[in-house]
Amino acid sequence: MHFDYHYARSIAPIIAHAALTTIWVTIVSSLLATALGFGLELLRRINRPVELAMTVVIDFFRITPILALLYFLYFVLPFYGIDLPAIVVGILTLSLHYSGYLAEVFKGAIASISAGQAEGAQALGMRRSQVVLFVLLPQMLRNAMPPIANYVLSILKSTPYLAVIAVPEMLGAAMDQAADSFTYVEPMTVVGIMFFLFCLGSARALDAVHRHLRRHD
Amino acid sequence: MSLTEILAGILDGAGVTLRVVAYALAYAIPFALLFGTLQYLARGAARACVTVVIEFWRSNSVIILLYVFYYLLPFVGMRWSAMEVAALVLGCNVGSYASQVVRAALQAVARGQLQAGKALGLKRLQVLLLIEFPQSIRPMIPSLMNETIRLIQSTALVSLLALSDMTLRAKEIAQTTYQPVGIYTALLIAYFLLAYPFALLGRRLESWVVKGKGVRDAL
Repeated sequence: MHFDYHYARSIAPIIAHAALTTIWVTIVSSLLATALGFGLELLRRINRPVELAMTVVIDFFRITPILALLYFLYFVLPFYGIDLPAIVVGILTLSLHYSGYLAEVFKGAIASISAGQAEGAQALGMRRSQVVLFVLLPQMLRNAMPPIANYVLSILKSTPYLAVIAVPEMLGAAMDQAADSFTYVEPMTVVGIMFFLFCLGSARALDAVHRHLRRHD
Repeated sequence: MSLTEILAGILDGAGVTLRVVAYALAYAIPFALLFGTLQYLARGAARACVTVVIEFWRSNSVIILLYVFYYLLPFVGMRWSAMEVAALVLGCNVGSYASQVVRAALQAVARGQLQAGKALGLKRLQVLLLIEFPQSIRPMIPSLMNETIRLIQSTALVSLLALSDMTLRAKEIAQTTYQPVGIYTALLIAYFLLAYPFALLGRRLESWVVKGKGVRDAL
């Protein structure tokens, strides 16, 4: 056996092209997970019984493996006549799993704002909606941004799970190539290196965003 | 099939799942302690080398790492079983995350502790082992519980290497009986029951860390 550089080079553009799918799955899942997480956290704050119930729901999504949740949605939804494309099932899986983590982020972000902020704004004669919109929300988002960014990175690293249900993201594209050529060494090497660089680049970009947000601290 | 039969069938695979967790921990714990400490102590080029090793395991998808090692190890002449590959990859992956917990906890120890130790004439290694380590263990523990949960979650991936863990057992039962609703619900519940104690323990210990009270108060 030898490593076929020519073959490796020929499949690199195909896997690079599949990165587009990886990127948009990451973006859509991140937005959905953030919205769901915020919703779960708001629900949790209604009253004590709801809080306990929502905490179990949040923990359930956080603790069960992505693969098990993926199989659950992929095989159970069609049983009830809900036939979704594999990529939608994948996005739903990632969104549900990470919404549990993001709910915890919002819990911390809401708690991090001191009551004096709301009281001060009210003392200045602001209405309740103005207090939330102009005083509390901007501070909360600023506190929540770094952990949210970290979970976006986690979601990116979880997108290859979608290859299991044949979504052609980067790993899925590499698997397709491997299945066509009956050789796994080159496709796996190429996708390993490319995905690593992809994650590393994203992490550096997010670090830059963090520094930008903290420039006035 | 009744729900109890399904659960019994899935729990057939619990042995493999737990073995993967145990073997992976055999990699993860030394990896985390060694590389976390080295990243804390080392400076300059040495620190860069340590960081490269940690980032290799941390800045990639665990599922991609699993496939890469599964197919590349035989290529370089290492004929490892699926279980051995899974233990190595899942262990080093979780170990690399845990190494950041170790490093952060060591960095959080007050600088005066190190200076006082040196002033007493202790060597650097003695300061590390006798002063810094004992004080950093307590703040590490809640985060290490989360990393344990991460490990339990990622063991589901060994089903992709045809190891008969809980996930593969569920798939097999689903293929023969065609009751996806009950089977995959039971699978999620099985994983939840396995990992939830660590989440509860982690949360309990968080308050123990904050309050600085004895562990017996927290439990």
